[in-house]
Amino acid sequence: MTSSGFWSKLETVAAWMLGILWAMPLLYAIWAAFHPPAYAVNFDLTAPVTLANFWEAWHTAPFARYFINTILYTTMTTALQFVLCTLAAYSFACYDWKGKDLVFSLILVQLMVMPDQLLVVNYQTMSALQLVDTIPAISLPYIASAFGVFLLRQNFKQVPLALAEAARIEGAGPLRILLKIYVPLSKSVYLAYGLVSISWHWNNFLWPLVITNSATTRPLTVGLAIFGSPENGVNFAVVSAGTLMSVAPLLIAFLLFQRQFVQSFMRAGIK
Amino acid sequence: MQIEIRDVRKDYGRVQAVRGVSFSVEEGQLLVILGPSGCGKTTLLRLIAGLEPVTSGTIHIAGTDVTHLPPVKRNISMVFQSYALFPHLNVRENIIFGLKVRKVPADEIERRLKRVVDLLGLSGRLDSKPGELSGGMQQRVALGRAIIAEKPVTLMDEPLSNLDAKLRNSMRREICSLQRRLGITMIYVTHDQVEAMTMADRIVLMRDGQIVQDDSPENFYERPANTFVARFIGTPPMNIVPLCPTQGGAALEPGGRLLFPGMDPDRYLFGIRPENLRLAESGQPAMVTGREYLGSDTFVSCEIHGQEVIVRTRGRRNIREGTVVHLTWDPGDVNLFDARTQERVDSVVPARKEGRENPAGSIGG
Repeated sequence: MTSSGFWSKLETVAAWMLGILWAMPLLYAIWAAFHPPAYAVNFDLTAPVTLANFWEAWHTAPFARYFINTILYTTMTTALQFVLCTLAAYSFACYDWKGKDLVFSLILVQLMVMPDQLLVVNYQTMSALQLVDTIPAISLPYIASAFGVFLLRQNFKQVPLALAEAARIEGAGPLRILLKIYVPLSKSVYLAYGLVSISWHWNNFLWPLVITNSATTRPLTVGLAIFGSPENGVNFAVVSAGTLMSVAPLLIAFLLFQRQFVQSFMRAGIK
Repeated sequence: MQIEIRDVRKDYGRVQAVRGVSFSVEEGQLLVILGPSGCGKTTLLRLIAGLEPVTSGTIHIAGTDVTHLPPVKRNISMVFQSYALFPHLNVRENIIFGLKVRKVPADEIERRLKRVVDLLGLSGRLDSKPGELSGGMQQRVALGRAIIAEKPVTLMDEPLSNLDAKLRNSMRREICSLQRRLGITMIYVTHDQVEAMTMADRIVLMRDGQIVQDDSPENFYERPANTFVARFIGTPPMNIVPLCPTQGGAALEPGGRLLFPGMDPDRYLFGIRPENLRLAESGQPAMVTGREYLGSDTFVSCEIHGQEVIVRTRGRRNIREGTVVHLTWDPGDVNLFDARTQERVDSVVPARKEGRENPAGSIGG
């Protein structure tokens, strides 16, 4: 009894320690962003609170443009992924065709290839398509997501076959069966996948850095890196303010959706 | 002829699920396809529905060859064993799903919906999701979805198997009366012989992908085509015992009371329904081995030469195990089966039959 109480207490303490360690950089950024630059490296509870850093960051770099670019890029990527993965998963889950297993295993192989390894090839492709330094060029390499196909296929397979058959008897065609039965029944998976995809692409850095070279296409991550690079002189307070601005929408979205997010992934795992 | 099935086969690789089945259903008839699990009855229904292609054979519905038409063009509706209600849609949307797909005008949808809701007592539940309803209510919604389509043919795949016994009885009567009232031609698949006997205008009994008997419920009970049917229909099933040689013919035990003069006992099986056996002062002796009291009846198990025979008697019978009783019956209630083929033997005059087939007459005389 006492020993299990001891261990559970130890677990709680350890969880808190890890959590705090994890949150440190964010907590520091919040501190630095809301106080004058002089307080960026010394902790003083009486320090004046200010929004000047945000003001300065917003006006030094085209953050508004970066925001629009990131939003365009992530929504475009996620939307195209939804369409492509849904159609592919439907075919894998509900139809029989020659070579299906081979194609599916090739798609699974794609899960094991790091996107960064394809940097050069992807650049060549985009250049051949004359899309270098455009927003579609940031999206295109990611829209055929193996993870999305796999996740949706697993979920579609769990939808009872009788539902699709009942719909067929009632006269529904393949596309209507997909849109009226499979997609609505996989809502939670779409939500979870959408959140993962958005957060991943919101934070994506390397590929956008390579493929963009002007402020009109650059997403937040790349913009922020340039903004915070030593050539511009490091002002921690302003950089922190810029960072906070960049991550704020994502943080808010996760605070709003975290329950659905965790739940749907747990459910997907148990099944 | 509303539905006509001709020599329909279905193979799954090397497994023959349905092997050459032919039957027809009249308009407004309720045909029950009965059989043990794995006999191919559900596969046959799916072939009729068009959910799976036939390997060979033809299916005609209302005079049209629908063998290669998709389900929607076959003019049918179907109720699934699992009900197949769309869990994300409420009761109203579930019922009118097909009408919306087929672009039926909104006022027509409302009219039909009202009628079906009144018919099935679903009012007040239209906004519930299927998951919030009891099994019986879900069943009604599934029925509603089939009825609202106003198709002349409805296919039912074990629709009552997920309900408890009491609900099953009332839903059974309800489905029957709906079918009669709306004049639907119905093919109803079940493994439950009680459902088959009570509901059917005609029963098709299947085994191993083939039809064993296609007949009225009365004939199924009174004139089973073979020992499989005789044992499948009736609770408890028909008593079927081999015959034994005796002086001058066949009896129920070696050297026992002569029942069939001049008959070769090795060639026939003796069958009789438990309720056609009576306990009497004299007759075939049998030893009581047990009894089951059911309230209205008592099933008395007896043994005749090592073979169990069940006698159904009215009310309560206090007969101790080990007692020797005597059984009598009307000769007209006896069913004879061929011992080798298990098929029914219809020319029940054993002497003449024996006379023809075995002119040497009695054996061991």
